[in-house]
Amino acid sequence: MVSVRLDAMLKEFVPRRTVTTSATTVRAMIEELETNYPRIRWRLRDETGALRRYVKVFVNGDELDHQSGLSTRLAADDTVDILHSIQGG
Amino acid sequence: MAKAKVAVWLGTRKGAYGLTSDARRRTWSVRGPFHAGTDVFHVTADARDPRYVYALANSGWFGPRVFRSKDGGRKWAEVAPPMMALAKDREHDEMGGTKPGPIVNLWHLTMGPENEPSTLFLGVDPASLYRSDDRGESWTPMNGLNQHRTRPKWNPGAGGMCLHSIVLDPTRPKRMYAGISAAGVFRSDDGGEHWTPKNTGVVVSFQPEKRPEVGQCVHKIALDPANPSVVYRQDHDGIHVSRDSADSWTRVGKVLDTDFGFVVTAPKSMPGEAFFAPVEGMSRLAPGGQLQVYRWSERTRKFSPTVKGRPFPGDLGTHRDGMDSDWLDPAGIYVGTTTGQLLISPNGAKSWNEVPYRFPSIHSVSVAPAGPAA
Repeated sequence: MVSVRLDAMLKEFVPRRTVTTSATTVRAMIEELETNYPRIRWRLRDETGALRRYVKVFVNGDELDHQSGLSTRLAADDTVDILHSIQGG
Repeated sequence: MAKAKVAVWLGTRKGAYGLTSDARRRTWSVRGPFHAGTDVFHVTADARDPRYVYALANSGWFGPRVFRSKDGGRKWAEVAPPMMALAKDREHDEMGGTKPGPIVNLWHLTMGPENEPSTLFLGVDPASLYRSDDRGESWTPMNGLNQHRTRPKWNPGAGGMCLHSIVLDPTRPKRMYAGISAAGVFRSDDGGEHWTPKNTGVVVSFQPEKRPEVGQCVHKIALDPANPSVVYRQDHDGIHVSRDSADSWTRVGKVLDTDFGFVVTAPKSMPGEAFFAPVEGMSRLAPGGQLQVYRWSERTRKFSPTVKGRPFPGDLGTHRDGMDSDWLDPAGIYVGTTTGQLLISPNGAKSWNEVPYRFPSIHSVSVAPAGPAA
């Protein structure tokens, strides 16, 4: 199973800090999150399906490209981190 | 009259605030911040039922969100966000030939008419208008405007391509106006099905074609409460008045040192009068280090300054939703500044006070009867 670690910013939408998934791409993993935790829908991605500007996704420590990263394949035992950039001001 | 309770809602750079007072409007209690840390562009109570308060929050982390309170601001819950129509659903490319994008910011919420108590209208960036008939549970794009034939000629101003003004004519239920920066004013006479640009007489200084059908950078409009065919307009290119329901405009602000600005309000108890707070065009700051609020009179066709002396020295500015007025007589007039002061006149601009509380940069000021939480 893939382990998905969620930063504290997402506590409002998902009550758990870590979830597991059998999804085989990052996009499918996010869709599964949105199905299981409907309140996170539109918060990671906008209505075009793109990741929001300050959402950062890492697979096994490597940051994904904001445009193409959703197609990244996932394998069992991968670890995904979903983080948010620090906003200034 | 002193028993009437007034609520002032502020949208700020770091959340929403609610202030309440009695009809004297001399002392205020402050609640908030609600949605702390979030850019709240507009927060407004429903005067038809002030238990309902809506906040338009724009988060770099989470995107645009609509929050609703059913108890006057005690508790808030997120309701449905509007969705930009995707390319496959459009008659025209709404972005004027550029790549379609999502909704960037929620800008302005206006309540529907009295006889439609669940109806709301919402303006967003990229400039689009949405309608809800269930108090924000769902939103329908108003494509008569969103897919207008002139859309390819609309352009973003410095604040984005925002639909920031939605005004209903209280005497003609099907007539409504929308203001878009920078596209101009549009009017619908059939409840929002069809829209006509209404910018005749407003010169565009910042593009080669000076008198186009659309492309004007309107900043805010207000209808005269006694005669809604009189429309007041603060435009990038000055202060204008229309006396024929926006069919034509006359620039009246040239007599001022500057008639650039963002705000206008027309109090219900002051027919034929409107208030403007001009700022310098380049700096967006009040001229001479002192914010001035001018009263325009349709009777005398003259402006008069209402801030005497220098009670609020400083380099103040306002955002386009930063001024509102109440329904009382004498009228309360409220100005929120980009540096977080809230200035209030409880007597039709005869005198001005500052609320002794420093807010984050104020985006919007909205006045309504106080709800049950006040």
